[in-house]
Amino acid sequence: MKLHEYQAKALFREYGIPVPEGILAASAEEACAAAERTGFPCVIKSQILQGGRGKAGLVRLVHSSEKARNAAHFMFQPEKKVRKVLIEPAVSHVRELYLSFTPDPVSGSHFLLASAEGGVEIETLAREAPEKIHKLHIDSFMGIMPWQARSIAYDLGLEPVQAKAFAAVAESLFALYRDKDAELAEINPLFITADGKAVAADAKIAIDGNALYRQPGFFQAPEDFDSDIEREAAAEGIPYLQFDGDISLMCAGAGLTTAVFDLVIDFGGSVANYLEFGGPNYRKSLRAMELCIKNKPKVILVVTFGTIARADIMAEGIVDAIQRLKPSCPIVTCIRGTGEEKARKILLNAGLEPLTDTEEAVKRAIAHARAASGGNLP
Amino acid sequence: MSIIVDRNTRAIVLGATGEEGSFWTGHMVALGTEVAASITPGKEGARVGSIPVYHSVRRALSALASHESGQHSGSPANAAMLFVPPRFTKDAVFECLDAGIRLIVTVADGIPLHDALQIRAAALQEGAMVIGGNTSGVISPGKAMLGMFPYWISRVYTPGRIGVMTRSGSLTNEVTSMVVKAGFGVSTLVGVGGDPVPGMRFAEVLRLFEQDPETDAVVMIGELGGTMEEEAASLIASKAFSKPLVAFVGGRHAPPGKRMGHAGAIVTGGSGSAMDKMRALADAGALVAERASQVGSLLVQVLSARGH
Repeated sequence: MKLHEYQAKALFREYGIPVPEGILAASAEEACAAAERTGFPCVIKSQILQGGRGKAGLVRLVHSSEKARNAAHFMFQPEKKVRKVLIEPAVSHVRELYLSFTPDPVSGSHFLLASAEGGVEIETLAREAPEKIHKLHIDSFMGIMPWQARSIAYDLGLEPVQAKAFAAVAESLFALYRDKDAELAEINPLFITADGKAVAADAKIAIDGNALYRQPGFFQAPEDFDSDIEREAAAEGIPYLQFDGDISLMCAGAGLTTAVFDLVIDFGGSVANYLEFGGPNYRKSLRAMELCIKNKPKVILVVTFGTIARADIMAEGIVDAIQRLKPSCPIVTCIRGTGEEKARKILLNAGLEPLTDTEEAVKRAIAHARAASGGNLP
Repeated sequence: MSIIVDRNTRAIVLGATGEEGSFWTGHMVALGTEVAASITPGKEGARVGSIPVYHSVRRALSALASHESGQHSGSPANAAMLFVPPRFTKDAVFECLDAGIRLIVTVADGIPLHDALQIRAAALQEGAMVIGGNTSGVISPGKAMLGMFPYWISRVYTPGRIGVMTRSGSLTNEVTSMVVKAGFGVSTLVGVGGDPVPGMRFAEVLRLFEQDPETDAVVMIGELGGTMEEEAASLIASKAFSKPLVAFVGGRHAPPGKRMGHAGAIVTGGSGSAMDKMRALADAGALVAERASQVGSLLVQVLSARGH
């Protein structure tokens, strides 16, 4: 679960990581007033979770009231879906660094990554100049050792005063990363000021969704979802992705649903939504179908091959959901796995054709979608 | 012979008294797995079927050792199956490691990331195999299993000489049915699981299959995200794995930055895409199936070329 920059910076303050004094604004007017109060030059930063804010013009350095007004009005255009902006004084600096902590699944430890070339995306740097990235393993039991933070600081070519400031930030950021069950903690750029202080100009934190039970206080705000259906699916615990095509995927099993998604595209179809109601959700056919129907798909494609997710229960659920919801589009079913014999009978009794081959089911769904679009059947 | 689990496996089960745990423990026994004891704190003295329940792993092992002194050499159990909720999984794994158990399978879906990292680190330190989480487990069809597999579906779980390793449960049924349809069967099927930090990785499973005289070829069911498929490709390129490998990688059309399906299935920063993985595997000499349905014919092709 990604945090907004302003939320991450609130955590930074809690952990003693210096950040610029910012003001949060919820409208263009508020933003202009905040810019006046902050003084110029200042930075206006949209608080959205998507990457690429800078390129989209959603982060601006402004030198006057007029420029601030233009930037704020640009960001608060309805189609930008920006609800808050953060206004901070521009920080003059002598160095611009990169620092992050991420898991290393191979060794079961953490990576500390740092670079003297902050402000560039780390992926770009990794591709174009990997030698400029300094990397250390942090033991997952012991945590970061002071010498590790120190040695990275000197590897970055920092002066002793700067190195001390950097090392303090590194140790604090790791503490935050570990305490809050983060899967990513990143500062890019981390400024070093003329008087040797380290200041986090940006802040990226993502909290592990599996650890939210022991991390009270973190939750996804309704406005952070791209669509209402995605929000409802999340509330239900049903994995869901929104697309804008014809075929609603209502499948069980993460791997199988992903493979079905690939097949639909391969065979020339388009996906309305990715919905996976396997695992703990296999009794939720009704909710799953309700969510699918909201997309007004041309066809709903059900493909399963479950173990714990029993085929008979899912078939029953789907038949029940069809009776209650009366979807106007056809339903293609390919339900296999534990209890499949019983499932087959349930589907036949309900007038549904129980397909057993995934590719055949996908092709059938695409044919339905084409027919509904007024096209010829292939 | 098969790998990891067979008729010589002597397992203890943690969490066998729960609904899911007792159901699948019953099936583990029905398939032929020896389950010596089960552990649920607070329920010592109870039984799951005929299996005695103990408060702790150490208590179970010492009870087994004293009942059966002389019958078994070494540890009274050589494997642990965990039907334990994700938030208690780290504790359960460390309890088993402390008691000297070096093969642990956990099916928990939703282990916190930082717990999974410590589990992985401890497994490496102790030289133990921790398989999972977010997996169905491990099965050697016709012999034994640690986990949850509908082994009675014979068009998937037929014994044979093909090793299968996978990050997905549902897709495994799909792909393995193609293996069986092509006339083969399975030596051992290992679910490494769909989490970003699995306890055991593809390349480590491949090393076991390489040593197994009853495995002729391996089918790998991968997906987008992480680096496990690339590690398998490196192992093939370095000749440390020399048997034929047929790979299927899900998520070729997944949009970048979105988590599709499993927690571990996400393309980050331009790396981990299914296409990159398929290219790495093909370059290393693996046979890559674009679609699950091609796995069977690729196996036929490569094994007949080798004279099997």
